[in-house]
Amino acid sequence: MALFNQLTTALFDVLLAPLGHGRPWFDLALWPVLGGIAALLVIKAVSNQGGITRAKGLIQVHLLEVVLFRDDLRTVFPATAKALGYNLRYLAYNVVPMLVMIVPMTTILVQLVSHYAYAPLRVGDSVTMIVELDDTVGGVTPAEVTLDLPDGVVLEAPPVRTADGTIAWRLSTTKAGDHVLRVRAGASVEDKLLSVGGPARKVSVLRTKGWEALLYPSESVPVAGSPIASLSILNRRDAPLGPFPVGESGILAWFFGASLLAGFLLKDRFGVVL
Amino acid sequence: MRHVPRLRASVVAAVVVLTMPATAEAYIGPGAGFAFAGSLAVLVGAFALALGTILLWPFSWLIRTIRVGNPYKNALTRRVIVIGLDGMDPGITLRFMREGRLPNLKKLAETGVFRPLSTSNPSMSPVAWSTFATGVDPSRHGIYDFITRDPCTYAPMLSSTDIKNAERVLNIGKYVIPLEKPKIKLLQKSQAFWKTLGDKHIPSIIQRVPITFPPVPFRGILLSGMCVPDLRGSQGTFSYFSTANRDGHAAFTGGEQTVLRRKGNVIRSRIVGPDNGMVKGGGRMTLAFTLTLRPDGAHVAIDGGESFDLTLAAYTPWIHLSFRAAPGVNVAGIARFYLQSVDPEVSLYMTPIHIDPEAPAMPISHPAVYSVYLAKRFGAFATLGLAEDTWALNERVIDEAAFLDQAMAFCDEREKMFFDAIEHTREGLVTTVFDTTDRVQHMFYRYLDPTHPANRDKECTAFADAIQRVYTHMDGILGKTLAAVGPDATVIVMSDHGFTNFRRGVNLNTWLYEQGYLSLKDGHTLSGEWFEHLDWSRTRAFSLGLTGMFINRKGREASGIVAEGEEYRSLVKELCARLEALVDPESGDRAVRKARAAFECFDGPYRLDAPDILVGYEGGFRNSWACATGSVTATIFEDNTKSWSGDHCVDPDIVPGVFFCNRPIKLEDPHIADIPFSILSLFGHVPPRHMQGRMIFEPGGGGSVSGVVDASRLPQSGSAPGARIQPERSP
Repeated sequence: MALFNQLTTALFDVLLAPLGHGRPWFDLALWPVLGGIAALLVIKAVSNQGGITRAKGLIQVHLLEVVLFRDDLRTVFPATAKALGYNLRYLAYNVVPMLVMIVPMTTILVQLVSHYAYAPLRVGDSVTMIVELDDTVGGVTPAEVTLDLPDGVVLEAPPVRTADGTIAWRLSTTKAGDHVLRVRAGASVEDKLLSVGGPARKVSVLRTKGWEALLYPSESVPVAGSPIASLSILNRRDAPLGPFPVGESGILAWFFGASLLAGFLLKDRFGVVL
Repeated sequence: MRHVPRLRASVVAAVVVLTMPATAEAYIGPGAGFAFAGSLAVLVGAFALALGTILLWPFSWLIRTIRVGNPYKNALTRRVIVIGLDGMDPGITLRFMREGRLPNLKKLAETGVFRPLSTSNPSMSPVAWSTFATGVDPSRHGIYDFITRDPCTYAPMLSSTDIKNAERVLNIGKYVIPLEKPKIKLLQKSQAFWKTLGDKHIPSIIQRVPITFPPVPFRGILLSGMCVPDLRGSQGTFSYFSTANRDGHAAFTGGEQTVLRRKGNVIRSRIVGPDNGMVKGGGRMTLAFTLTLRPDGAHVAIDGGESFDLTLAAYTPWIHLSFRAAPGVNVAGIARFYLQSVDPEVSLYMTPIHIDPEAPAMPISHPAVYSVYLAKRFGAFATLGLAEDTWALNERVIDEAAFLDQAMAFCDEREKMFFDAIEHTREGLVTTVFDTTDRVQHMFYRYLDPTHPANRDKECTAFADAIQRVYTHMDGILGKTLAAVGPDATVIVMSDHGFTNFRRGVNLNTWLYEQGYLSLKDGHTLSGEWFEHLDWSRTRAFSLGLTGMFINRKGREASGIVAEGEEYRSLVKELCARLEALVDPESGDRAVRKARAAFECFDGPYRLDAPDILVGYEGGFRNSWACATGSVTATIFEDNTKSWSGDHCVDPDIVPGVFFCNRPIKLEDPHIADIPFSILSLFGHVPPRHMQGRMIFEPGGGGSVSGVVDASRLPQSGSAPGARIQPERSP
């Protein structure tokens, strides 16, 4: 996972933001189209196009049957059931290409989110830093976990430690910059980046050992034996994206819709049946 | 079967995906999107349709009950199946029946009845099927022939349909954007009986009945038949691609030749499509294609379209042709290709471009989605009215084998539609017309007559059984029908007319010219098509089409010279008498059996549109090809040497159709107009007063007329060899 994240991050740090993070429209317009085209190529290569064509045709046949013979319920019921049955078959035919596409599509999406979803916090913003301990490692209690603050970040209130291994610090930012918050848990040390002020750039909000690291690849995964499971910044600020929907879910929805639209518009050109 | 492992893998994969964490699913992206967006739409659509249908059904039932009560309250039957076999001849049928080749028709006749069915005058499909549809004679439905003349210009025009381009258009640069649909109007008058049935809430599915284009909306389902044009707007224009410039023809009757230029094994050419009405001076739209030759076939790649292989002497499936009229506007057609030879000359035949039933450029069904439904269910199918390409065989562009293959393929398409209609009509009416019997008899009649002039220089034995094969095939369809519908349904097998020989063509225009009734402009002794050199100011009568002669009447024709009243009537009577005395100098046979004055035959509101004289030929004779198109040729009589060697445009008395039913009837002499009248009566409804037919069934069931007709009751005609094929006579 760590290696995968390193490789994909290195790759997309080169590919994304050719015009800088201040101009997100370029990547947000380009990559869904590329994603749609990639999806078409994958579907063409790995799906049963004949089967999809037949299933679609039969769905249409039975829906038209309902329309044409609507006065005859003895036709309407079986025709509806058949349409739904062929719909399941159509879905099944699409699963293989969908599985093939999960990794590349998710990677593109994750990287777009990493680069464009969040803006640096403003100077003076309050921020809550959360650390969760890894109960499978043990050896460290919440009381033994401390935080070193860099210049530009100050503690607003004493940390809150819960029995289930969560520690929260309420901080305040006083200076722009990419600050490194250092967390010590026994002999183990893990850092968390906190971006404040300055130009639009890649902002990391979570560093974790869990599978979610695949979705937040900007920072490295905590080392395997570390008692710290995750470090996260609670207060996130959505980056302005112009006409595009903002935030993680906004980018997800945009990518989903735009790639779909691109795929449907280009399917005939690529000779793909969807 | 080869898809099963993939399907299994898909199911396993579906389970994996459905068990993935929710956040990950959100990231799956377009892969899931394509599948789920489509499926969701279907789910929503199917549920909405089903729910809407179920919710509306009680209201629909209530409305029906209030309006008509139980539509079957007085019905003698709840289901009627009409199999229309265009041109099936009673004499030929009886002969094949006696030879044991038609077991199902024999069974039907023995349990019910088989009688000749008197036909319309003229005895032509558009006329007779119009009478079947409406239950009235031609002077009430207004169809007298395939074509008639425009009385203002004398130019030919289709009798059945008027097609006009959109009048309201938007001109943007070179583009002409129509702001309304083209105006397509069915010229057939009166009302089809299935409309009456629909009004009574009795469902019907009507397939391929001639003169139903464009379809007139009614409470039922209809697929148009004869007179549906091809994509070019003609009644069928085939294409012939060849490296040989055959006979120096630029065009054939009913088709066009494109001379191919070969570069090694590659040929580039174009398929000529319809006119582009969306571009000023756009001309015809074309599709370029590359033909790559192989020793045993070829490969065709249409630019921006389909690629497919050609095998020698075999038809391709339907190929979709999409012509680009303007950005984003395509006109869809379908055609089949037939590679005849690659060496020494390349010869490739393409059927006329049919309207694509899946994306029809013109209305060919009611509701419009019916043709889409059929195409999606059974694949693309022939939509052209005169689908079987008789002209291609007539012009010897294809041979008998290719024609028969094509005709039987189209027949198979209709058979599938027919049984689908039966499956969906548990109560109500199904009527399907199969044209195959008509077309094959037209083109293969010469095989029944060894002395037929059309046999000269042609093969005369290989397809001697073609007509019998088609009759037997139709008998098989009847067998399947009887098995599918059971004994309670009323099953009718009928034809619009019979058949007879067409050995000699008669040019009535030449006869009129020689007799002084028709004049040519000074310096001309002959005339080309469509009355090219006629002097209308001195012409009293002229002939156009297949059975009609028109008087150049004052007040009706633009340059009419014959006054109404006595002058008109006496001229008609004079011409009738002289026509009946017309003798073929070669054989001494009378050519015309009966010439009838329209004013004596017709009294309906459209009687003035009729030809003034209906020329009823003897068997063996018919209007010559040149006469039908308004030409004046050197001789009155000529041998018919075309493959189109059988016909029915003669005296209607000698070419009745057939009437079979699985129940006896009460009339010995059923007429085609009686059928719609009787079907309405069978369903327990009083036919509208304008209908002219009679009830042929006994209201209480039973009937005095049953069994197979006696051969002696079949009409006799003409003394020319093969003028009529009698059941007891060997061909």
